[in-house]
Amino acid sequence: MEFPISGVTINPFFLIGIGFVVGLLGGFFGVGGGFLAGPLMFWSGVPMNFVVGTDLAHMTGKSIVAAKRHRTLGHVDARLGFVMILGTLIGVEIGARIIEALKVAGNIDHVIGITYVVILLAISGFTAWESIHALRLSKQQAASGEGDPMPHKDVVSFGGVTQFVRRVRIWPMVSFPGSGIEEISLWIVVGVGLLTGILAGALGVGGGFLRMPLLIYVIGVPTHVAVGTDLFEIMFSAGYGTLTHAVKGNVDILMALVMHTGAALGAQIGAMSTRYFAGPRIRLLFSLLPLIGAILVLVRLLGGNMPSF
Amino acid sequence: MEPKLQRIVIRNFLLELVIYAILLVLYFLLALRFLGAPLNQLFHLNPLVYAGASLVLIVVQGVALEWITSFLIRRLGLEKLE
Repeated sequence: MEFPISGVTINPFFLIGIGFVVGLLGGFFGVGGGFLAGPLMFWSGVPMNFVVGTDLAHMTGKSIVAAKRHRTLGHVDARLGFVMILGTLIGVEIGARIIEALKVAGNIDHVIGITYVVILLAISGFTAWESIHALRLSKQQAASGEGDPMPHKDVVSFGGVTQFVRRVRIWPMVSFPGSGIEEISLWIVVGVGLLTGILAGALGVGGGFLRMPLLIYVIGVPTHVAVGTDLFEIMFSAGYGTLTHAVKGNVDILMALVMHTGAALGAQIGAMSTRYFAGPRIRLLFSLLPLIGAILVLVRLLGGNMPSF
Repeated sequence: MEPKLQRIVIRNFLLELVIYAILLVLYFLLALRFLGAPLNQLFHLNPLVYAGASLVLIVVQGVALEWITSFLIRRLGLEKLE
């Protein structure tokens, strides 16, 4: 099928398939999925500028669908999401300027590529280690009768950073009842948004796989709420990205609608599936995503090309 | 959750998915058929309007179609409550 806007001929079922897989991942893990959809679209012949813009467009729709579903399950803390957006948008701009500075210096490919791989492997390794530990802890608790046997009980084995962060008392202190947070400094939340924004802007990604672990391990948000709130934030960042890229001529909306057909269904299934998994299991499965992303980047680096999705 | 209640929840969810899938496919087929040429023109002639139209189209596909799905299920009395 020919898409006249981008001038690409591609099998629409392949696009629907990509959308479905990415939607499933997004609904379940709270990520945008660009690290997977990008290479797949590029390898199927879509020019890279259209990959970036069209992916953001379908990501907007998919994150709205998934966030709505998560909201009905009580997994969205909109207040937290809005506060983080402030930091994220500033951070993305800073990240984009870092890219410009590296372009001038002439070593952008290797610096960004290697940074990307190191960060992805660190997130993957840490999340896997922590979630395995948390699974053992929850089994021990269940066996000794201490813990709640309900599958949604979130056990986190690495609470040290969260406890330290909660003791930081820089005014103003805010509460996020939707996440069960009684009091935390506003600057911590904005700071997490800023950090993920900088990394997202510099690495050219949505940032979900960065934001999720930070929400859980730094701010102390329960895993299911981190998934839903992350998607809530992606709605706005991807929506903004869609508008700017569409103005720049990088969005093939017809292709995005086709992808979104699969993505919307996948997102619904992914979001509903979180009801049947406890937090540690979601985190353990999540740890595979940055590993896949790191492998994809390494493959491109070793082949001499830098992914700019 | 009780197994019986779980079956009802899954059944209702699958029904919603099937109807939603049909509406999604119809939507993009109609968009391709009737909006393909106008969108292509807008893309080249008026990027600002194209950007707004793109966002509206993708949001409608996600949100409005879901609303229509829920409406249809309620109206046709297809939702099982017990």
